[in-house]
Amino acid sequence: MTVAVLPPFATLLDRHGDELLAHARRLAPRPGDAEDLLQEALLRALRAYPRLRHGDHLRAWLYRIVTTTAIDAHRARRPEVLVGEPPVDAAAPPDATDDGFDDLIASLPEASRVALHLRFVEDLDHEAIAERLGISPAAARQRVSTAVRTLRREHAT
Amino acid sequence: MTLPAALLDALAAEAVREGLADAVFTRLDTPLGRLLVVQGEEGIVRVAFPEEREDAVLAEVAGALGARVLASDRQLAGTRDVLGAYLEGDPVDLDLPVDLRLVRQPFRRAVLQELKEGVPRGEVVTYGTLAARAGSAKAARAVGTACARNPVPLVVPCHRVVPGSGGIGSYGGGRERKERLLALEGALRRQ
Repeated sequence: MTVAVLPPFATLLDRHGDELLAHARRLAPRPGDAEDLLQEALLRALRAYPRLRHGDHLRAWLYRIVTTTAIDAHRARRPEVLVGEPPVDAAAPPDATDDGFDDLIASLPEASRVALHLRFVEDLDHEAIAERLGISPAAARQRVSTAVRTLRREHAT
Repeated sequence: MTLPAALLDALAAEAVREGLADAVFTRLDTPLGRLLVVQGEEGIVRVAFPEEREDAVLAEVAGALGARVLASDRQLAGTRDVLGAYLEGDPVDLDLPVDLRLVRQPFRRAVLQELKEGVPRGEVVTYGTLAARAGSAKAARAVGTACARNPVPLVVPCHRVVPGSGGIGSYGGGRERKERLLALEGALRRQ
């Protein structure tokens, strides 16, 4: 049996930590979740690390773990995929919440509606919304917050 | 360091709790320069002066203990306090657990063991005497090698080993550091 020559895990983090955190920021369900997401991903990596057969492509391997951890985090936030928890209304279609949300925002101008749909139904972060709409992340953030304010005003009356 | 220290500390804490850390390390600024201190489950395995390359030191530890080597000041807070106080001149004993796994050769290991347990602060011992105490009176040169390659300087006090012919002799971390350490321990007066 040959023992794989793996670099110290800390050396990997020195080399790739920054970009992995940036990757986690892009994928996190909410911007504030990025560090928790990365920590969970790195724990998964540590559990698997001694079983690796070789030390090639470690950067790509770490990226993949961050990505799958982020996907799991998004899934965990969607109530319909929670296991062992009975649905609130079994008769309602699975996407009732999403439909309800789209109804709620139906009266808004199109730009606001699209921004809110992307943010809260498709669960994209500001950077992804910006990419989808071809605007800057700052503009995307602005558009979402303006839409939220408009929505609040409408429902306050 | 690239990632926020809080994230690294949290990662190391969880990894230690789950038994996923083979070793943790910290960097400590002292009057002797920035020290790298690496600790395994059983004790300190490696102390390095700043002249050594950190990557190489960590790779050496990874080869012997496993590659899950993590940075954490918080996991080593106790060790940092004791080492820091000692190097600032507090009259404390460096009674820290040590793991001599990186010393492969049995006689060298016996020398370092004897040195750690049998030569307290404030005392010095000659190469020849230490050789005899470790079980081989004629092996003074081998004692010199054991000290020169000591993976855990300070914690195993090879600075307390001096030539029988007088003077303070050489030191892996440089003569100047040896002189400082012996002065700090009050051992230089006896020379």
